[in-house]
Amino acid sequence: MRIAKQGMMLALTVCMGIGLVGCGAAGNNAKTAETAPANSVSAPVEPQDTDKKLSGTLAVYSAGPEGLANKIKEGFEAKTGVKVEMFQGTTGKILARMEAEKSNPAVDVVVLASLPAMQGLNQDGMLLGYPEAANADKLITDWSDKDGHYFSYSASALGIVYNTKLVQTPPTSWEDLAKPEWKGKVNIPDPSLSGSALDFISGYLSDVGENGWTLFDSYKQNGVAMAGANQEALDPVITGAKSVVAAGVDYMAYKAKAAGEPIDIVYPKEGSVISPRPAAIMKTSKNSDNAKAFIDYLISDEAQKLVADAYLLPGRSDVEAKDRANTSEIATFNVNWQWMNENSDSVTTKFTQLFK
Amino acid sequence: MQTNSFRSYTWIWLVLALLLLGMLVLAPLMMIFWTSLYPDQNFDLQAPLRNIMQSEVSQVLFNSIWLGLCVIAATTVLAFPLAWIMAKTELRRHKWLDIVLLIPFMTPPYIGSMGWMLFMQTNGYMEQFIPAASALTPAFFSFWGMVTIMSLHLFPFLYLLLRNSLLQISGNMEEAAAVHGGGFFYRIRRIILPLLLSSYVMGALLIFVKTIAEFGTPATFGRKIGFYVMTSEIHKYISSWPIDFGKATSLASVLLASCLVMWYIQSVISSRYSYRLVGGKGTVSKYASVKNWRGFVCWFYIGLLLLASIGVPYFSIITASLLKLRGEGLAWGNLTLQHYADLLAPGSESLNALLNSFGLSIVASTIAVVLGTWLALTVQRSRTPGQKLVDLFSLLPNTVPGIVIVVGLILLWNAKWMPIPLYNTYGMVVLTYVILFLPYTVQYVKSSYGQIDPMLLQAGHVFGGRKLYVLRRILLPLLLPGMLAGWMMTFTISNRELVASLLILPPGMKTSATYIFAQFEQGAVSMGMAMAVISVGITTALLLAMSYISSKQKVE
Repeated sequence: MRIAKQGMMLALTVCMGIGLVGCGAAGNNAKTAETAPANSVSAPVEPQDTDKKLSGTLAVYSAGPEGLANKIKEGFEAKTGVKVEMFQGTTGKILARMEAEKSNPAVDVVVLASLPAMQGLNQDGMLLGYPEAANADKLITDWSDKDGHYFSYSASALGIVYNTKLVQTPPTSWEDLAKPEWKGKVNIPDPSLSGSALDFISGYLSDVGENGWTLFDSYKQNGVAMAGANQEALDPVITGAKSVVAAGVDYMAYKAKAAGEPIDIVYPKEGSVISPRPAAIMKTSKNSDNAKAFIDYLISDEAQKLVADAYLLPGRSDVEAKDRANTSEIATFNVNWQWMNENSDSVTTKFTQLFK
Repeated sequence: MQTNSFRSYTWIWLVLALLLLGMLVLAPLMMIFWTSLYPDQNFDLQAPLRNIMQSEVSQVLFNSIWLGLCVIAATTVLAFPLAWIMAKTELRRHKWLDIVLLIPFMTPPYIGSMGWMLFMQTNGYMEQFIPAASALTPAFFSFWGMVTIMSLHLFPFLYLLLRNSLLQISGNMEEAAAVHGGGFFYRIRRIILPLLLSSYVMGALLIFVKTIAEFGTPATFGRKIGFYVMTSEIHKYISSWPIDFGKATSLASVLLASCLVMWYIQSVISSRYSYRLVGGKGTVSKYASVKNWRGFVCWFYIGLLLLASIGVPYFSIITASLLKLRGEGLAWGNLTLQHYADLLAPGSESLNALLNSFGLSIVASTIAVVLGTWLALTVQRSRTPGQKLVDLFSLLPNTVPGIVIVVGLILLWNAKWMPIPLYNTYGMVVLTYVILFLPYTVQYVKSSYGQIDPMLLQAGHVFGGRKLYVLRRILLPLLLPGMLAGWMMTFTISNRELVASLLILPPGMKTSATYIFAQFEQGAVSMGMAMAVISVGITTALLLAMSYISSKQKVE
């Protein structure tokens, strides 16, 4: 009797499972049907007529911030009727996914949080040029490719982020953080996980040369902790476990501050690095018309306003940042992006080994 | 003597099992090795070797193994007394404890670690209550803190295996020993421990493998204390620029090799020390009564364990999910339920993620149980080389870090020549979960099967039962507890699976785990913690309901 009952339990479970498989399968079919035109490699005729309104789908792999990415997605969908399938992750995760999908790429547009990484993709000849992008001439020239292979639609600056409850007189210079009063109280993001932290470290080194390592040596001596990606480095400062993030991304600090957290940011007087966030179309894209429209949208007035609302620096020189320091107000090092791109690997290795 | 009534079909099943495992498990791993040999589009046999030499592998390998051994020791200390209490004393009536003890295991490891960190860190929750506790902080943020966190996460696993085996050891044997004058400790030493050894070694191996393949705790806690292990190194090469599959796959093969050595040791021990415990005769179990101080000691132990494994991390998780401003710390005015309201708002992304997770895990665990039971029955007591091979392959997913298999799966299922368009669909996610968690069912069912006396099946046969009848009326009912345990385990783990989901989910789709992870990345820690509370809460409630129903049926 008991066995029969148990058997019934099992049967019930299995039935439940099968029912759900059914649902799942139906969902899959719908999904495949939806994406089929986008994915069919060997479509003999390109059905897209340039005069026609856009349709179909667009696969975007985008580095945060999530709220902004979602708003851009919604705005673009409303404007063009194209359905955006978005994968969100850090720059590293996006690159990993692209590497894994290498033999059969699914991505059309890639949005990263690190310029050297995008330069790397460009050097490998993976990006589709789109020099005729609308408003591209208004972009800040240093941040984007002059041949139109990538477009930095936004940027963030790096600064010293601190907890206002724990810090009364914030440090004003990068060297200050090596002083005894900051011993054991400072986090720095891991450059192997945070593209912007890498931009800061390699940007600083590209300006001051090999001697620049003395700064990071003194950080290590003073117990500066290397702590994950940007948010992981910032969180302990919000909760009060640490007092300061060196090379913290500013938009996260502004966002936390606006929410009411006891957080503020200073840009050291000797300069900092502004880390552009580029977007580009992949050569392998099967929806290049949609992809081009997406790039146009990123540089449009509408999307640039969304960028400013997310406390990021707009990529266009004619758009003002909102409730934060503007590009012109932040002193920067004399950075050499080419050197940074070539040396990012060795800098990351040396830095992470120093701080391990 | 014919030991198995299915002998005539055995080889067909064996070939089928090998084919299936070859496609599901081996092929992705082969893709990985293939890639590691083609670092720059050129075939290079020495590439993996060179990679291993370059990347200070010995230190991280040592770290991984040392961590694994320490966690085995600590989980043993935690799980053994509990298993004994729950199998041999009156307290075994309290079935709810089994479910509650699954909570640590259901908690995503990186969430549990976060909980501990929030509790113990400078200006953390503990210090806000007891400022003097700050003296403990440096001691906790060390290797031993990491062992503690991981052991408190993994011990329920060993506990379940040990308790199930203890229940199988029939009271007759102990009574026989007692009649012949064996004292309590004599019985433990000469009867219980030897009979338990095989299960224990299996459990310890799984704990070891789980520990060195774990990514969440090293990624959160380990990174903070500067303790690096194989998985964090592999993950680094796979997920941060510049991507280097060659190095990652080479390191993965070292990890794989060390796990295979452990597997070999385990299989030698368990084949030498496994006994048939479930016979045809009725068993009378004897329970020790736990009155007065004994009961107090038992409950005290259970209470302490629950406090450490659930109390501390969940205090932090729940608190963090209720805080308006995390910078303001603990204060009544700083608490809000708003995050939960936002999370469960109809049509919201978070609610969809939650439903996605449950749907996917139910489907995946059901498929995994069916497949796993079949494979375990094929493996039986793994005597022939073919069975040993099936055993090895079906355990592989547990031996290779999840992220490595996942990359292999992507390489395989997204290859140009792949005719089945599974990649970037829900089906792919289900497939990945099934492959990743197949070893659980296989282990549980195998462990149940190993203790069934073949004479039971022969008896069924002798009395005219045909093969299917014997399977249906004798074998399956006896295997059912193992299958159920496997189902629950797969369900709970796939419900919180993170690493695979991060890489394999179709764009635009989220599960509760990736939602939580994204919230942490975006700085919305409270929303992430609220999601953790809700998804673990629902899982626990479901399991409690299930066990309540099944216990009701037994009473009738």
